[in-house]
Amino acid sequence: MTDPTIIRSLDDPDIWVETPATIYDAVPPYPPRTEREAEFYDLRDGEMLLNLGPQHPSTHGVLRVVLKIDGEKVVDLDPVLGYLHRGVEKICENGDWHHAISNCDPLEYVASMFSEAMPVMVAEKLLDLPVPRRAEYIRVLCWELNRISSHALYMGWQALDLGGLTPILYSFIERDEIVEMLAAITGQRLLFNYLRIGGVNGDLNHDFLSRLGDWMSRAGAQLEASTRLLNENEIFVRRMSGLGVVDRETALRTCLSGPVLRATGVPYDVRRAHPYSVYPELDFDIPTRTEGDSYARYLLHIDEVRESIRIIDQALHEMPDGPIMAKIPRLIRIPPARAWVAIESPRGQYGCYGMSDGSDQPFRLRIHDPSFFNLQAMTDMLPGNLIADSMAIMASLDPIMGGIDK
Amino acid sequence: MEAVGDRFSGPLRQRQDTTEIRIRPQHVAEVMRTVNEDDAFRFEILADLCGVDTGTEMQVVYHLWSALTPDWLRVIVEGLSRDDPRVPSVTFLWNGAEWAEREAYDMFGIIFEGNRDLRRIYMPPDYTSFPLRKDFLLPDDAARSPGEGFRHVEQPHQPGESLRRPVLRQGTSEQQ
Amino acid sequence: MSVLSRPWNRLTVGGKILLPLLALVVLLTVLLMVGWLTGLIPALIGLGATVITDNIDILRFVAAVTAILLFTVPTAFVIIFMEMKFIAFINLRVGPNRTGPWGTLSSVFHGFKVLAKEDFTPTGADTPVFTLAPVVTYLAAVLGLLVIPFAPGLVGLDMNIGLLYFFAVSGLSVVGLMMGGWSSYNKYSLIGGLRAAAQAISYELPLLLAPVGVVMLAGTLSLNQIVINQAGWFWDWYVFQQPLAFLVFFIAATAEGNRTPFDLTEADSEIVAGFATEYSGMRFGFFFFAEYVNVFILSALTVILFLGGWNAPIDPAPILQFLNVTINPALDPGSLGMGLLFVLGLGVPLLILLLALPVWMLKSDWSFPKSLVVAFILFNVIGAGLAGVWLFLSFEVVVGLVWFTIKTFTLAFVFVWMRGTLPRVRIDQLMGWAWKWLVEIALLNIFLTAGAILLLQELAR
Repeated sequence: MTDPTIIRSLDDPDIWVETPATIYDAVPPYPPRTEREAEFYDLRDGEMLLNLGPQHPSTHGVLRVVLKIDGEKVVDLDPVLGYLHRGVEKICENGDWHHAISNCDPLEYVASMFSEAMPVMVAEKLLDLPVPRRAEYIRVLCWELNRISSHALYMGWQALDLGGLTPILYSFIERDEIVEMLAAITGQRLLFNYLRIGGVNGDLNHDFLSRLGDWMSRAGAQLEASTRLLNENEIFVRRMSGLGVVDRETALRTCLSGPVLRATGVPYDVRRAHPYSVYPELDFDIPTRTEGDSYARYLLHIDEVRESIRIIDQALHEMPDGPIMAKIPRLIRIPPARAWVAIESPRGQYGCYGMSDGSDQPFRLRIHDPSFFNLQAMTDMLPGNLIADSMAIMASLDPIMGGIDK
Repeated sequence: MEAVGDRFSGPLRQRQDTTEIRIRPQHVAEVMRTVNEDDAFRFEILADLCGVDTGTEMQVVYHLWSALTPDWLRVIVEGLSRDDPRVPSVTFLWNGAEWAEREAYDMFGIIFEGNRDLRRIYMPPDYTSFPLRKDFLLPDDAARSPGEGFRHVEQPHQPGESLRRPVLRQGTSEQQ
Repeated sequence: MSVLSRPWNRLTVGGKILLPLLALVVLLTVLLMVGWLTGLIPALIGLGATVITDNIDILRFVAAVTAILLFTVPTAFVIIFMEMKFIAFINLRVGPNRTGPWGTLSSVFHGFKVLAKEDFTPTGADTPVFTLAPVVTYLAAVLGLLVIPFAPGLVGLDMNIGLLYFFAVSGLSVVGLMMGGWSSYNKYSLIGGLRAAAQAISYELPLLLAPVGVVMLAGTLSLNQIVINQAGWFWDWYVFQQPLAFLVFFIAATAEGNRTPFDLTEADSEIVAGFATEYSGMRFGFFFFAEYVNVFILSALTVILFLGGWNAPIDPAPILQFLNVTINPALDPGSLGMGLLFVLGLGVPLLILLLALPVWMLKSDWSFPKSLVVAFILFNVIGAGLAGVWLFLSFEVVVGLVWFTIKTFTLAFVFVWMRGTLPRVRIDQLMGWAWKWLVEIALLNIFLTAGAILLLQELAR
């Protein structure tokens, strides 16, 4: 039981520490640990440290960025992560292979089918387990629906960070329909816990299919409304074009992936580069753009939504009958092996390196999140721009702190 | 592969869609550079960089992808001691490896020589343990935390006693 | 006093209010009777009348200022509600719909909430400056209302330099924003305050240069006179003679009022709340109010300068003449004599009953008292409507007020519409646009107007 003498009343004057005004300084109270830190926190004349703290209306989660600004212009920045670090990898090591599914769900909470797929696909690869075709098609259907809802959220968020209040609500209408659909088969709206090692948890039902048919008949009409509001809007275009430009070489060297990479001209999409599941049988294109600025990334997301709608259409029509789950024992013991899988999530290449040691617990489950690497591009893109642009650029990189902080 | 074959410390393995090679820490810089820049390989995309604690030693595992081959390349740098693991950094080839190496340092204590910004990325700056190591025990960490002196709510088990099964594992996944 | 305390404690709350009131009424009646009979009251009334007639100007000014100060509160409330509701409709939401019918009382409750919040000064803040910043900003907004002509004869103070006074006073808001930004001891507030100052100063130039064309056409700086010059049909309004100036003025007004797309001073996705980050409670309420009063004032000024002020778009006199209709709404209730008593005493309840009967018959689940209450409300609504129509027809003040209100709130609605639709402009784009484009266009407009005036004078000769 808790010791009652430890819990003190809030009226006790001793517990109120007088905070000096210097706590508002963004300079950390310990000496710098590396030369980069020393170089960063050494201010020149006219520079100021602005703390875009973990609580901020537009840092996409709990991201802290210490900006070194000169007036309105950003000179340098130091992102500080870890505010959402939950120790997912360690927890996975202490649980079962099945527990890892619901542990890894909140890594990409916006489109959690992708992060769920990580332990599932790694286990299947380690076991050399063939997944039934119907389950594969259902997985592809759910993945593409998740991709559309994630991109819808991205578009709304991007506009919100620029000041437009309306597109995010249109995006949420779109997203709401999709999550209601998925709730009909998975039972959850956000963290689905639907994929299982060897298949999926439940078959498609009438509710899901009717909602899906309904939605497909409109097929992103709300998103089209949102794009009409934004695409030709002079203010929006002026603020996004030429901003946060990444060229091909920098993109490859910074290990970017996903729309950020494809907007620079590199046509790297894991679904085509290293196909998995039933993607080789589906017919879709990989949209690419060459400008590499925020506006290109925004347009790329819209193109990807259209491609996803095509994939959903094909998956629906070609869905075979059959079992949705392979025959596996309830307690899975995987012989010692190592495996790496990668899938294409809305943010980029989601990868997982799994090591098994013969017991029923994973030995090492390393999740590689694309937002983690995409966010590093920020260090190159932001300096030289204004503070207002830094929000726009961060939004266009589409980071999800759940995966970045694991 | 033969060009760098003599650097390998173990056989080249292939399974499903991944080719795996093992090297020693001192060969990291050259092998990575060759694999990245050489026209026969052109593994331009570093897919992942992570640390592994196998119980007896530490490893750093790189995953690479090239447009020329359908396989992934897994490079395992093995033989790092558990007390002082040091590996040369690959940030000279890929800027994006910087944060991944910071994470490996934070979680395992692996020092990447040449990374100009090797500080903790997830844990607070005054943290004293490396969480993902196999000998990491949470009660030890709590005892060393700044909250020391205040009892936490419940600690039914003693330090060293695991909840379900031993934390330290014998053997690794070296046998395939 | 226990002989009084026991019965006092047994009264309900209503009783505790009514009883002293009754006692007060009785006392007052007795005093009045005594005063009347001894001639004291008529003497006092005579004295009061002479004092008032001697100082009528000052009294009128004080009354006008009080009315203006009181007027800002409901105006701000209405505009705040309009904004919440219309932006909600644009966002495909419903907006406030719980407090009051269709959420109309939500602004009132927002006002109470703002009053009830904790009022603190952050550590390290410059307290006098911090406290006065919202006051200065609010003053800058409210003082401008003094010269706005709401209706013919209904203007706070008809200065012959009204426009100049208005711009002088609205420039105070820059000081207020800077005070707020600097004194908060917060880097976000500092950046917000600097942005606000830069924006306000940059856009004051086009804001001042655009009405110069109107001033040239009207020949006076007095706002009342400018409105009078636009009398007639809607093509007499200055917007058709100065379209460029209208556009420049409207855009500069949006920027001056810190409204989207120029709302980077309070950009809440970038710098939290800009200069107002550290403000809470009524201090923030003042900033908030000042912004919405600014919206009202800038719309009102646009209406006055370009859209005809309190003039109706059509002049009904020629139409009525054409149709051979005369409207003579003068009522003479005295002609009814004793019948007035019967009308008021019997007619009103009869009407309410008449209205209640169909309601009671149609709504089967309502009791008769409930339908009586509904009928009473209906009667009041219809009565107010009829009274409004009578007022409209008989007093031109009311006509002017109605048209002015319609036009101003239409423009306020356009402000709200822009806020719901457009994203934000960046600070360097904003200032570049002001200095490189709007000032030039305003100057061009001045030259064109001057040239046109000279040309017309030449042609007339």
